[in-house]
Amino acid sequence: MATYLLRRLLLGGVTLVAITVVVYALARAMPGNPLTATLGEDPSRKVSAADYERMQRAYGLDKSWPEGYLQWAGNLLRGDLGRSITRKQPVTTLIGERLGPTLLVSGTAFLLIWMLAIPLGLYASARSGTPDERGVSLVLYALYSFPTFVAALFLQIVFSVWSKGTAWELPLFGMSDLPPDAPLAARIADVARHMILPVVCQTYVSLAYDTRFIRATMAEAIRQDYIRTARAKGAGPWRVLFRHAFRNTLIPLVTLLGLSLPSLVGGSIIIEQIFTWPGMGRLFFESIRERDYPTIMGLTLMFSVLTLLGQLLADLLYSAVDPRVSVE
Amino acid sequence: MPVRISQVKIRTWAAMTCLTAVACGGCGRGDKGRLVAEPEAPAAQAAASAPAPATPPAEAFEPPPLAALDRDAKWIDRPVKDALAVLREQQAKEPARGTVAEALALENNSAAANATILSALGRLPQPGEADLEARIDRHVAGDLGSTNPILISSSAEFDILGLTGFGLFSYDRTLEPFANAETVVNWQTSADGLYDKVVMRDDLVWSDGTPITAHDVAFTYRVIMDPRVPVPAVRSGTDQMKGVHAYDDRTLVFFHKEPLATNVWNVNFPVLPKHVYEHTWEKDPTLKDSPEHVALEEKPVAGGPYEILSRKRGQEIVLRRRDSWSTVQGRQVREPPYFKDVRFRIIEDPNTALLALKSGEIDEMILQPEQWTTQTVDDDYGRLNTKATAPEWVSFHFAWNIGTPFFADRRVRRALSYAFDHDRMLEKICLGLYEPCAGNFPPDSWMAGPKKLEPYKQDLDKAEALLDEAGWTDHDNDGIRDKEIDGRLVPFEFTLLVNQQPFRIAICTLLKENLEQIGVIANVRPVEVTALQEMMQKKNFQACFSGWGSGTDPDSTENIWKTGEMRNYCGYSNPEVDRLFTEGRRELDRARRAEKYARIQEILYDDQPYTWLFWRNSFYGFAKSLRGYVFSPRGPYHYSPGSGSLWKPRAE
Repeated sequence: MATYLLRRLLLGGVTLVAITVVVYALARAMPGNPLTATLGEDPSRKVSAADYERMQRAYGLDKSWPEGYLQWAGNLLRGDLGRSITRKQPVTTLIGERLGPTLLVSGTAFLLIWMLAIPLGLYASARSGTPDERGVSLVLYALYSFPTFVAALFLQIVFSVWSKGTAWELPLFGMSDLPPDAPLAARIADVARHMILPVVCQTYVSLAYDTRFIRATMAEAIRQDYIRTARAKGAGPWRVLFRHAFRNTLIPLVTLLGLSLPSLVGGSIIIEQIFTWPGMGRLFFESIRERDYPTIMGLTLMFSVLTLLGQLLADLLYSAVDPRVSVE
Repeated sequence: MPVRISQVKIRTWAAMTCLTAVACGGCGRGDKGRLVAEPEAPAAQAAASAPAPATPPAEAFEPPPLAALDRDAKWIDRPVKDALAVLREQQAKEPARGTVAEALALENNSAAANATILSALGRLPQPGEADLEARIDRHVAGDLGSTNPILISSSAEFDILGLTGFGLFSYDRTLEPFANAETVVNWQTSADGLYDKVVMRDDLVWSDGTPITAHDVAFTYRVIMDPRVPVPAVRSGTDQMKGVHAYDDRTLVFFHKEPLATNVWNVNFPVLPKHVYEHTWEKDPTLKDSPEHVALEEKPVAGGPYEILSRKRGQEIVLRRRDSWSTVQGRQVREPPYFKDVRFRIIEDPNTALLALKSGEIDEMILQPEQWTTQTVDDDYGRLNTKATAPEWVSFHFAWNIGTPFFADRRVRRALSYAFDHDRMLEKICLGLYEPCAGNFPPDSWMAGPKKLEPYKQDLDKAEALLDEAGWTDHDNDGIRDKEIDGRLVPFEFTLLVNQQPFRIAICTLLKENLEQIGVIANVRPVEVTALQEMMQKKNFQACFSGWGSGTDPDSTENIWKTGEMRNYCGYSNPEVDRLFTEGRRELDRARRAEKYARIQEILYDDQPYTWLFWRNSFYGFAKSLRGYVFSPRGPYHYSPGSGSLWKPRAE
């Protein structure tokens, strides 16, 4: 186990280096740099060539990308992710500020998705071919194909504009309306109300996908011989479903769970943009648009580490859910 | 009398920063991040090894005694105005076109309705009419990067600093400069144009109670000009001065290198509280790394009528009216601003912002053209809101890269302008919302001259004749014009770059269709905004769709047209234009100066380095409870009094 872990961690380290090198090289290869938009377009700002060069040096933009990468990596080893060029804050502070709001929405959505997807998927498997199963499938397909930005707008209009002044009213945007000195309970309730629409939007597409995923893996499992054997032995339909079929679908499910880990902190650009939710998705999108290399790299590093950890976790969980799998 | 002149300098910048977006993206208050850019932590070290700027630091400058200056300089009085009082006087002479009730009942679907709305709802309050306890919820599309007056660069930052910052100068809705009577007692310029003397008021205090003095202004100049401080953009203007010297707490003299017409803009820069920064800035010239500077970012010392009350990152910034702005030592020295609180609500998505306006969560916002035409015409919108529009000094064009073999010959550029169906663009794509643009300066501005230029009217015969004359004919009979260049037959096929906005792509596509009729192929290529900027800056393009906002002074376009200048993306070069720009800056007589810029306008019109397209309007949605919006060529806020004229009536 220890050897396995060590090997995986070493491999993970190499993968991490490879990912960050590629992303850094790609980011630097994109046309433009953080100064492009700032100093290039405003005719009233006549920045001298000397000042422009000085700014480039200050940002390290005068260095080639391998030099720039080595500098970034060196700082990282000293525990310094650098400062955002456009936001004038340390990258760690920026990420720290966005992490909480992101987790609030994505964590809640994640729980909801799995709490609903598993029973729904099992139900659909158990009732396969019946009208109610087809109804559920139809709704799920409809949800899956319904664009988030349309749903978000629709929900905003219904619950924030039309329902204004009623008990159904929900906040249109933002994370909180109360001042920071309001009572804690009131602030929690306020944030919870603000979360509802973003969480609904983030939940429904994945719910549809994951339910269909469970339904599909279950359909595969219940065709296996051991299911027929279980039935022949007289096991009841729900027992067959849970104890025999579902347990054997856990491997792909755990893989999916592991891969979901980065998305927990990745946030959603569209949802955050529409609901003005101060999350990670917006930060990543904006930092790419602004060519804010330190922020791009800080976020890339975090997402990469989480992806690798998610995969490692999934691999470790395989042995837990399937005795035939050994991490040795 | 809240003139908020302090807003104005920064507003100059706010409006100018929009240019970035205009050129390549959409100019909204959400054009945030791409405008920022001061170096971070490494700046100090990098700066230390950097070459010194052309201008020596202020310490090197030895100002003469004031008595000697007063003896030798013939001082000429310059305007010191209370912008709100001036606006009030102007409005008193202009009878309203309708009552408030009539204006509020109007749907803004015609020029007459728009004029009535602006006339009736744009008026300042009568005494006692405004609700001084009211709050305005304004929309901004992006969060602040910095609250330090000399580090800011995004539109949202300018909006906020406009209310919290301190300044001496401003300009009115016709973009004429003046000194702000709320902060200045007297402003004089020497007859030779080399000095500006300002006497400040003695009843000004920072939000921490420390008096605001002339030493703050001189100190700020010194900080801005220090090569270790990473604010090169702010040096634009201040680097044209020899120095700024405070002779006492109130008397300040700006020393210019040359007597330039633009000196009036160069003296206008944001001001830092000396007592706060004088012990910290040299230890941390980045002005943002040290714990002291980090703390100041959160709670800056304000010099304007408002101070930051609270801030939720990514969500909102609330400003509170500062009593010490209007009342000093128990005496009311200035009229308090009309709003007790100004709450800036950050909403990036324009659809959400519109819903917020419709549901009464914000009081104003910039409307996108499509929102103006289709999404603000129903009762749902009209229940709580109205809207208004006015022309802005923001124009769009096709830029031809003269460095390519296609566009080096001006006959070709003229031919393409003649080929373009300008009228169709205005009617079908711009939906009649915009005025045609034919040249560099706004048609009604003083610098445009008396001759009214008309856009090149589509004339395909003339276009073809010009191309024939320039040697672009169809030699190989493949339907595409070509020309032998360096022994090779080059077909007239070029790439037209454009930002990804559908509206802009539609205009480019119209050009493509027009050019096909005369045997020229234009490949329209949408490009991401930053990439497009980079390609333009490096002149790595053949043609592109772009735009500029005109500055308050015509000299601000010099670096677009003068040979070798940074923003001369077309590679345009005309010695006469170069000379006229230089002369224009040195000419102090307005009428003679106007002649030079009018001549530049004519030359550019003949040379067509751009095919100018249209002047954009600004579109705003306002809550029906809001009054006092008056538009300038920079919209309703970015001048003086600008947002300071907004108010809400007392409840009946």
